[in-house]
Parts: sequence; structure tokens; C-alpha cells
Amino acid sequence: MALKEFSLEGKAALVIGAEHAVGRAAATALAEAGAKVLLASQEPGTEKQLKEAAKAIGASGAKVSIRVQSASIRGDLSATAELAVKELGALDILVNALDAPLYAPAEAADDSAFDKVIEGNLKTVWMACQEGGRVMLRRGGGVIVNITSVLAERGVPNASLYCAAQAGVLNLTRALALEWARKGIRVNAIKAGWLQDAKSPATNDDEFAKNLMKYLPDNRLIKPDELGGALLYLVSPAAAFVTGESIAVDGGLLCRV
Amino acid sequence: MILDSLSLDGKVAIITGASQGLGHAMALKFAESGAHIVAASRTREKLEQTAEEVKKLGRKCLVVPADVTQSAQVNAVVAAAVKEFGRIDVLVNNAGGGDEMLGARLEEITDEMWRNGIDTNLSSQFYGCRAVIPQMLKQKRGKIINVASGYGLRGGKHNYMYACAKGGVIQLTRSMALTYAQDNIQTNCIVPGIFPHNEEMMRFFKGGKFIPIGRGGDDMEIGPLAVFLASDASNHINGELVAIDGGGLAGGVIPTGVAPQTPS
Repeated sequence: MALKEFSLEGKAALVIGAEHAVGRAAATALAEAGAKVLLASQEPGTEKQLKEAAKAIGASGAKVSIRVQSASIRGDLSATAELAVKELGALDILVNALDAPLYAPAEAADDSAFDKVIEGNLKTVWMACQEGGRVMLRRGGGVIVNITSVLAERGVPNASLYCAAQAGVLNLTRALALEWARKGIRVNAIKAGWLQDAKSPATNDDEFAKNLMKYLPDNRLIKPDELGGALLYLVSPAAAFVTGESIAVDGGLLCRV
Repeated sequence: MILDSLSLDGKVAIITGASQGLGHAMALKFAESGAHIVAASRTREKLEQTAEEVKKLGRKCLVVPADVTQSAQVNAVVAAAVKEFGRIDVLVNNAGGGDEMLGARLEEITDEMWRNGIDTNLSSQFYGCRAVIPQMLKQKRGKIINVASGYGLRGGKHNYMYACAKGGVIQLTRSMALTYAQDNIQTNCIVPGIFPHNEEMMRFFKGGKFIPIGRGGDDMEIGPLAVFLASDASNHINGELVAIDGGGLAGGVIPTGVAPQTPS
């Protein structure tokens, strides 16, 4: 049987980026472990995806609410963190599942590429940590998990900005963990390997996928729901002594020379 | 259901160093999660105590006294486990420690001290991996959990053997992970921070005030991490190090408790 330390019974969780496969899988895992969940999206026009996800997750009896961005990122994230407390009664867990990849040659990128990639992958996570952190500090603590990528640890051609942003998320995680270590907030990260999801070049570029698959230690992509175990471990009371850490879910890829 | 994947119901786990400290804690949490235990360490008497506690939780516990620096004895633990249970789902290479040369100056460390230390902390884990792999290949599944230390990643003053041995454990983990990824055998590594096992250690570590989170770890806290890495919930985690250290390794470039601030 599963240890009671892994249970999230009665906990309130906010998942930002729930309109995409990774965020939805994260929310599903949290709900399965007993958490009430607020599904949030930073992309206008994603009500449909959120409603679908809420219906599927709520089918097992979990309390699920949704929220789609309606203002500036900053204002919206602040309101969303407060909404979690209002709707779910608390904000114990924040999961940032934001991902806005860009694969393109550096010499061809203009300034808007920088702003877009840094905002979509790093700035929004920073703001979400800040806004979620403020609520958690006020309420006596909480747990944050940022879902980043193995690209946080390694370079990849055509992905300089994306790699920089992901590395930013990883070290943001460490620094916030130290800053809030004695204030009751644990901050950790998950480094996803190459994912089997719509936004991944491993799914939408056949030539790249063919080469990549041979290179992966176990010759397969990561399914979004395979991040669930690491997520549940990190957010649950089981990991009370774990902060500033990141867990790679990559089949062993980061071990390669 | 994700909670089902965290169960170890009916699995068989070998845990070395199971008579005390982290190994003892892991044995109890594994048993609580449903696993049967093969408990190995040097002294039968203390192992029997662990076995009593495991049996109270309703699981079987096979006691196999062994000195893990002797590969024949490690092989014997694995053989006993296979004979009793017919398979091995998990190996936890936990036994180690006993750094008699910690604090000794480089020139005071004898060849014998060095070799004993490396045997206890690195060779032992290699022997465990080597002994268990044929059985796991036969099963086409298995989980190996090695136990390293923050000193496997960072240095320590007058800390040679332990840092080298634990660094070796980390590299053993990574190469095992790559080699057996396609055989459905995952090898991972727990990196424990400071776990004061008794009052004396608590005093030595000043109650954990140098640890970012403000306290040392409780032995029992290692259990859920080992259970997670032994369970199907971690099937795609391989060659990974998971630090359980209250934030220690996240920092290290300024003292704990100090926070720089740009003047306004």
C-alpha cells in the first residue's frame, strides 16, 4: 500500500499551464492523491481545454475549478493565487507547468524572440512563484514545483534562448528554496526529458525524432503522466526535508557524456 | 491511480546496512509499503531487531549477516534472497560509513585505511550491483538504489576517502543506468544530507543551524524517498541523484543565514 506520507488529502493545489498535456497530467496526479485543484491557464481562449480537463479530473470526485487569464500576467497571477484560497480554502501547492519552446537559429532571431521565450518560460514562472509565495508566506507555508526540462542542464543547437530560460527556472528554484527555507515554503523542480506532447519537436519533426529515439537510453519519449510520481513525491509531506532539488524524469539521458 | 503505483505490495527488497540508521528506517518504510525485506549487515543481533519490527508490520524478513566489503558475502546475500523469494525487485546499497580517517591529515592516512574505506563505501556498492544484475536481467525488471552523500558532489576539508568513494558511487549509478536502461532496470542514487542519528551527532551539528531548512533530517524521512525510487511511480527516472538535505546542495557559496542585499 502507498505510505500515508504520499497522500494529499485535504490539500489545495494550483496548477498553472493546465491547458497543456503536462499541466493537465500534473493536475490529474494531484487530484488522484486527494488534492483539490485549481486549473489555470495563461493563454486567453483556452476555456475549452480547461473545462475538458476539469471534467475528466473531477469525474473521480475531486474538487476542481478553472481560471483563464483575463488581465496582464502580473495582475492575473496575483488574482489566481488569491482565487485558489477563495475557491479551495487554501494554497498549499503551486505547480508551474509553463512551456513555450522555440527552436530556431540564434543568428536569425530578433528581439521579440528573446522577450517571448524569456517571458513564456521564465518571467511567468518567476511571477507565479512570487504571487504564490506571497500567499503561502501569509498563510504559513506551502510547496512549489516548477516543471522545467533537461535543457536546463545542457545546451542544444537552435535552442539558445529556450535553454537559457530553462536554466533560469532551475536556478530560480534553488535560490527561492534557500530564501524561503525557514519560512515554510519548499521549492523544487522536475526536469522533463524529451516529451511525447504536441509542442515537442520529438513529436512533430520525424527526422529529428528518428535520430533522437536511437540516442535515448531506453529509446522512448516521456509521456506527460510519467512526471506524476516525481511531482507527487516532491509536493507531498514525504519530501519535507527536500528543497532546492530537481528530479530529472528522462530515462537516464542526463547521464550521457 | 498514482497512489497504487507507489505501493511495494509483494515486492522483495534487499537492504544492506539494515540494522541501524537510514537502512533500518528504509526497511521499516518498505515493509509498511508492502515489501518483504532481505536485511543484511554485519551483526545478526541487531538485524534480528529490524526483522522483528518488519514482521510486526506483517511482512517477511530474511536476515543475512554479511560484511559488504567481502564480495563473496554480498553474493551470498543475493543467492539467499533468490532462494527464499525466487526474485529480487529492489536492491538498496546503503551500508557504508565508518570513516576513521575523517579529519586525518593526508600524510597520516595509511594504505590500509584508504583501501578499507574505499571497500566499505564504494566497492561494497559495486559488489551489490554486480551480484544482483544477472537476476534482474532474468526478470527483465529491477530497481537499484545506491546511497551517496553531498560529499560525492562537493569536497570537504580533510575528507578524501569518503568524498572519492561517494563520488564513485554516483558515477557507478550513472553508468549502470545507461547500461541497463533497455533492460528495464533503473539505477538511482539517494544523496542524504545531515541525518543526526543520536544526541551526540545532534550536538556536533549544532541542531542543524547550518542547514538551510534549519534542522537535520530524521532517519524515517529517508524512507518515502527510497520507496518512491523502488516503486513503479519512478519507472522513467534513471541515473538520477535525489538530494534529501534540507536545501544544502542548492546553495553553498555563502554561509547559511546570510542574505546579501544591494544598498538602496
